[in-house]
Amino acid sequence: MAASTRSQVISLYRMMLKESNKFPSYNYRTYALRRVRDAFRANGKIEDPKAVERLMEEGQRTLALIQRQVSIGQMYKSQRTVVE
Amino acid sequence: MATRALLQCVRSVARPSLRLCTGNLAVRAVAAPAPAFFRGHCFTADSRRTRLLGNSRISSVGILCRQYGDLPPLTLETIKERVMYVLKLYDKINPEKLQTSSHFMKDLGLDSLDQVEIIMAMEDEFGFEIPDAEAEKLMTPEEIVQYIADKKDVYE
Repeated sequence: MAASTRSQVISLYRMMLKESNKFPSYNYRTYALRRVRDAFRANGKIEDPKAVERLMEEGQRTLALIQRQVSIGQMYKSQRTVVE
Repeated sequence: MATRALLQCVRSVARPSLRLCTGNLAVRAVAAPAPAFFRGHCFTADSRRTRLLGNSRISSVGILCRQYGDLPPLTLETIKERVMYVLKLYDKINPEKLQTSSHFMKDLGLDSLDQVEIIMAMEDEFGFEIPDAEAEKLMTPEEIVQYIADKKDVYE
């Protein structure tokens, strides 16, 4: 993996975790955090540049999706669950 | 985090009830917070106790009111304690192996993703952002303590 891509992956990981943390709803928040962590860990060993490229694009799309869903979640807040 | 919160609950319930034993409402007041505490709702316990006391003894209300104030001043020692506390709670770190000089990747066997999560935990604990470029350089607890001390203007 090229050095630039490596730092890009790390920064994407940071941004996705930060955005996922903003979910107002407990269920979505914990799911998003867990899903992001698991996905990065599962694909952490991939060396093929093409596959990394593809996954990075998918990650960027998912990041945009998380951002959209966070803002929608903030517009329509629901009642807090007991665990919170 | 959860254990710390729970400990505080225990303390806040235990301390005032000791003081109350001399009061005229001792039996009622001590009995009331106890079941509430077992359900784990510290806030209901608190409010109920304050209400009981509000009717009877004005002098002790002052003691029971929450004292708002600033955090204790940061020193190198407290920063170090808090950093080590956060690290101990991170599930992939073995608390016995952890030392202030241990390298996250070489000594503790973590990867770069874990390191990112540790830095994010530090951001949460100390309440400020650490930029990407600096974050990837922080590899030992010592470096984190030093970095935070620099940012918060703490010197010996």
